Amino acid sequence: MKDKQFWSVAGIIFVLFMIYWVAGHPFFVAERAVMFWAIMIVSGILIYSTRMAKRGEEIFLRSIPGLKAVEEAVGRSTEMGKPVLYVPGIMDMDQVETVAGVVVLGHVAKMTARYETSLNVPVSRAIVMKAARESCRESYLIEGRPDLFHDDMVHYLTDDQFAYAAGVNGIMIREEPAACLYMGKFYAESLLLAETGNSIGAIQIAGTASPSQIPFFVTACDYTLIGEEFFAASAYLSQEPELIGGVKGQDYLKILAISVILLGTLFNYFHELNLISWDLLGFLTVQ
Amino acid sequence: MFMKRQLPIAIAATIGFLTLFGWFVEEPSIKSFVDDDATQWFDILASFAMFLGALNLLKMQAMKVIRQSRGWQYAALAIAGFSFSFIAGFVMLGAYNVEVTEFGGSTGVATVLANEINQDLQSTRNILSAVPAGDAYIIDSPYFTEGGAESVVEQIVAAGGTAEIHPAEWGAHIATRGSLFNWMFRFIFTPLSATMFALLAFFVASASYRAFKIRNFEATLLLISGIIIMLGRVPIGGHISAWFIMYIVVLSLVAGVNTWLKNRTYTLVALVVGLLGVTIAGFITGWPVDQPSIFFLPVLQDWIYNNPNVAGARAIMIGIGLGIFASSIRYILGIEKSYIGE
Repeated sequence: MKDKQFWSVAGIIFVLFMIYWVAGHPFFVAERAVMFWAIMIVSGILIYSTRMAKRGEEIFLRSIPGLKAVEEAVGRSTEMGKPVLYVPGIMDMDQVETVAGVVVLGHVAKMTARYETSLNVPVSRAIVMKAARESCRESYLIEGRPDLFHDDMVHYLTDDQFAYAAGVNGIMIREEPAACLYMGKFYAESLLLAETGNSIGAIQIAGTASPSQIPFFVTACDYTLIGEEFFAASAYLSQEPELIGGVKGQDYLKILAISVILLGTLFNYFHELNLISWDLLGFLTVQ
Repeated sequence: MFMKRQLPIAIAATIGFLTLFGWFVEEPSIKSFVDDDATQWFDILASFAMFLGALNLLKMQAMKVIRQSRGWQYAALAIAGFSFSFIAGFVMLGAYNVEVTEFGGSTGVATVLANEINQDLQSTRNILSAVPAGDAYIIDSPYFTEGGAESVVEQIVAAGGTAEIHPAEWGAHIATRGSLFNWMFRFIFTPLSATMFALLAFFVASASYRAFKIRNFEATLLLISGIIIMLGRVPIGGHISAWFIMYIVVLSLVAGVNTWLKNRTYTLVALVVGLLGVTIAGFITGWPVDQPSIFFLPVLQDWIYNNPNVAGARAIMIGIGLGIFASSIRYILGIEKSYIGE
C-alpha cells in the first residue's frame, strides 16, 4: 500500500468512527474509551514506524549480546559435533511468548541447516510440536537443505511441567548438547533446566518474558534476553526492515510511557494539593 | 500456497481483531465468543492435537528401544508408563464400590467386613451400629476388579446380608479415590513431580553460590542486597542493632576511601572520624536497636524490596507489555509471518 492510499484509508476509518461516536456510539463500552484510544495510538505508532522502515529509513538497532551469541552457540555445536537443544517453553500457542519462541526457532533452524548441525526440539504441547515442525521444515527448505530435516527433530514429551523438565534433563545428560537455548514461557522448571545445562558445560542462551524466571536464567545461563529483547529477537535475527521498524516503534512507545508516567505523577501531585480538580490517574485507570 | 500462507494469516487477523476489539463492544454474542467460544475452540483443537503428541511420543520411544540407543531402558520405561496410564484410564475402570444394604445383627457379615476394612470385629460392629437405620454401608476402598467386588458380595450374601456393586462412572473414575488411575496419580505421579520440584532447593543453592560470588561491582551489590533481604526477613534480623550495621557501613566506606585515595593517613582519619561519629551518636541516643531505622535490617530490606526492586521490575514489565503488544500487532496485521514458516 502506498503512502497516499494508507493515509486515505486511515482517514476514512477515523472519520467513520467519529461519525459513529457522534451518533451515540451504540454497542460501544464508553468507559473503556481511553483504553481504546490508547490501543489506537500505540498501533498507529507501530504501523507508522514499520512503514518508515519499509521505505528505507536507516534504523539503528543496538547490539544484543544474547542474540549475537546464538550463531556463536550453533557454531560451537558444529565444531564439537554435538547437537543444539532448543526448548520453546512449556506453554501452548495461545501465549505470545511461545509464538515468539517458535519464531526464533525458525531462525535457529536456518543456522543449524547452514552449519549442518543436529537440532533437537523437545516440546510440551502437541500444537507447539506441529507449529515448530513447520517452522523448522520451512527453514531447512529456505536454506536449501530439506535432506537434513526430519520430523523427529521436533518431538513431543509431555504436557506436565515437571515430567517435561525431567525428560529434557534426561536428554541433556544423555546427549550432552553443546548449546542449550530456552526461548518461551517458563515457570519453576526454568532453573531445573538451566542448572542441568550448566552442569554439562553447554553454552546457554535464554529468552523469556516471565519476570519471575528472569533471575534464574540470568544466574545459570551465559546470555539472557530480558523481556522486550526476546520479542525483538526475530527482528534482530532476520534484519527485515518492517520488523526492525516495529522495534523502533517500541522505543517511541517507551518514550511515550515515560512521559505519561512523569505527567501522571505531576498531575496527581497537583491534584492532591487541590491545585487542579482533574484526576488524571482516575481517567487513565482501565475500567 | 493460499492454504499455507494467506489463509492462516487471514484467520489470525480476523480472530485477533475480533478478540481485541470485542472487549470494547457491548454485544452478548461477541462477548460470549471472546470469553468462552474462542478458548473452547482452542481446547478442542488442543485435544485433537494431543493424539498427535501421544503417537509421536510412542514412536520416538519405540524407535529408541528398537535401535537400542543410549538410555533405551528409559524409553522402555516410558512406554510401560504410557501403557499403564492408558489401561488405567481407558480400559480398566478399577473402581467398584460395594454397598452393603442389609447387615442386621449378623456376626458373619461383620466378620467379612472386618477382613475387608482391616478392623477388628468389635470395631466393625461399632461402625455398622453407627450407620442410621435404613441406610447402606459402603466399603471405604473400591475394588480394582469387578471379580474382587463380586467375591466380597458373595461372602456377604453367604453370611446372611445383602450387598450391591456400584461401579464408578467412566470419566469420573480417574478422580475416584481408590481407583487404579487415582492410585497411580497419588502414589506414583505426585511423588515423582514433588521430587523434581524438590530438586529446586539444591539448584537454587548452587545457582545462588555462583550469583553471589564476588566478581565485579554488580555481583557485590547483589551479594549485599541478598544478605540484607535474607537477614531482614528472618527473626534474627530484628535483633541485629542498627548501630552494628552502621559500624559495618563505616568500615566499608573506609575500605572504599583507602582503595580510592591509597593514602594511609586519610584512611586512618576516615576510620577514626567514622567510628567516633557512630559511637558518640550511639551514646547520645542511648543505642536503640531499631534506630536510625534506615540501618535497621527489617526496615532496610523492606525499602530495598519495595523501592529499587519494584522500580526495576516495573521497568521490565513495561518493556514486556510493549513487546507483547507490538508482537501481537505484528502477528494480527501479518507483518510477522515467521510463525507460519515464512
